Amino acid sequence: MTTTPAGDEPGKAPDKGSADVDRFRELAALAPDDPRRAALRGDLVADHMDLARNLARKFDRRGDQLEDLIQVATIGLIKAVDRFEADRGNFYAFAIPTIMGELRRHFRDTGWAVRVPRQLKELHVTVAAGRNELSQKLGRAPKPSELADHLGLTKEQVYEALVASAAKQGTSLDARLAEPAGDRFGYEDDRLEEVDNRRALSPLIAELPEREQKIIVLRFFRGMSQADIARRVGVSQMQVSRLLAKTLERLRAALGEDTLAG
Amino acid sequence: MSEVETSPVARTHGVRDVEVRVWADAEQVPLLRSFAADIAMRMDFDLDAIEDLRMAVDEACSLLVRAAAPDSALLCWFEPVDAGVRVRARVDAEHAEPPSSDAMGWQILTALAAAVTEQVEAVDGGHRISVELYAVPGTAGVDPR
Repeated sequence: MTTTPAGDEPGKAPDKGSADVDRFRELAALAPDDPRRAALRGDLVADHMDLARNLARKFDRRGDQLEDLIQVATIGLIKAVDRFEADRGNFYAFAIPTIMGELRRHFRDTGWAVRVPRQLKELHVTVAAGRNELSQKLGRAPKPSELADHLGLTKEQVYEALVASAAKQGTSLDARLAEPAGDRFGYEDDRLEEVDNRRALSPLIAELPEREQKIIVLRFFRGMSQADIARRVGVSQMQVSRLLAKTLERLRAALGEDTLAG
Repeated sequence: MSEVETSPVARTHGVRDVEVRVWADAEQVPLLRSFAADIAMRMDFDLDAIEDLRMAVDEACSLLVRAAAPDSALLCWFEPVDAGVRVRARVDAEHAEPPSSDAMGWQILTALAAAVTEQVEAVDGGHRISVELYAVPGTAGVDPR
């Protein structure tokens, strides 16, 4: 952190934006190869990391990719620092849309494991939204024909979107190696040690309320994602997440141990 | 494009019997899985039922591939029937181990499909193992309304 040059007026709410303007003027005045330029640029980026982090958090929908998103947002921030013209006024007004644009581009371009034409991506978003709406309305998963009617699309368009969404997430080539093809006989079952817990678990699961039971079974025995479970059970993903956490805690407590993997 | 042999189901959904032959290799299973899902989609199965069939065919074919003799073929038939789709898959194997001996795999399969049967028969120099499953278009299909 550097000390900010003139501009911080005591008593007035810290007007970071206008203090920044001076530093940006300084940055613009320095020659490209001036070592002070790199240092000042670094400081400006570091001083605004909170902004990048904050915006990244808004895009974090799954919780497991926040670090990646912060990186993307930081790239946006660096671009903003490089491109900002001090005469245009407030840095935030320029940086926020720049960073948001970088994050959106990240989702648009890298959200798919396989390159899919833009139109199809948009179609996928439409169909996914329609699927959620109809699932809630019908209390079951909709049929492709119902989606087509609901969205005013042709059935072929719905088919295309459904096939495309199957390609959204790739599977590692190594995933197949995890499944042995031939030699499945005569190895020691390393899950044998879990038998006690598993036997104790089934009566406990049977005691759970119907919805919790269903969620546990879908999550851990069918390996479905929380989002898929949310759609199928007809609650929000947040609720699924909360119910899972609560139920696991309950089961752990009942088993008297704390090693059950969440 | 003769319409003479078109069944009422095929006329409704535009889906006819499909026969696919691939190497009995784990690499080929996704192909059959996609066939199954596409057929179910075109027969207007609900989206959960499509996923169930996709997973069921994956499981059935995986069980058969594990049993299959080296360098042999996996044959798969998809047949639309009035209320759903019937899928038959078959491999030639050296041993007469039934697919249901894989308790976990078989349990998954029976949970996903409306009906599952297996067959092991002796043929020249080995055994022929088949799995037949029947899937329905989902809860929407049995809805009395």
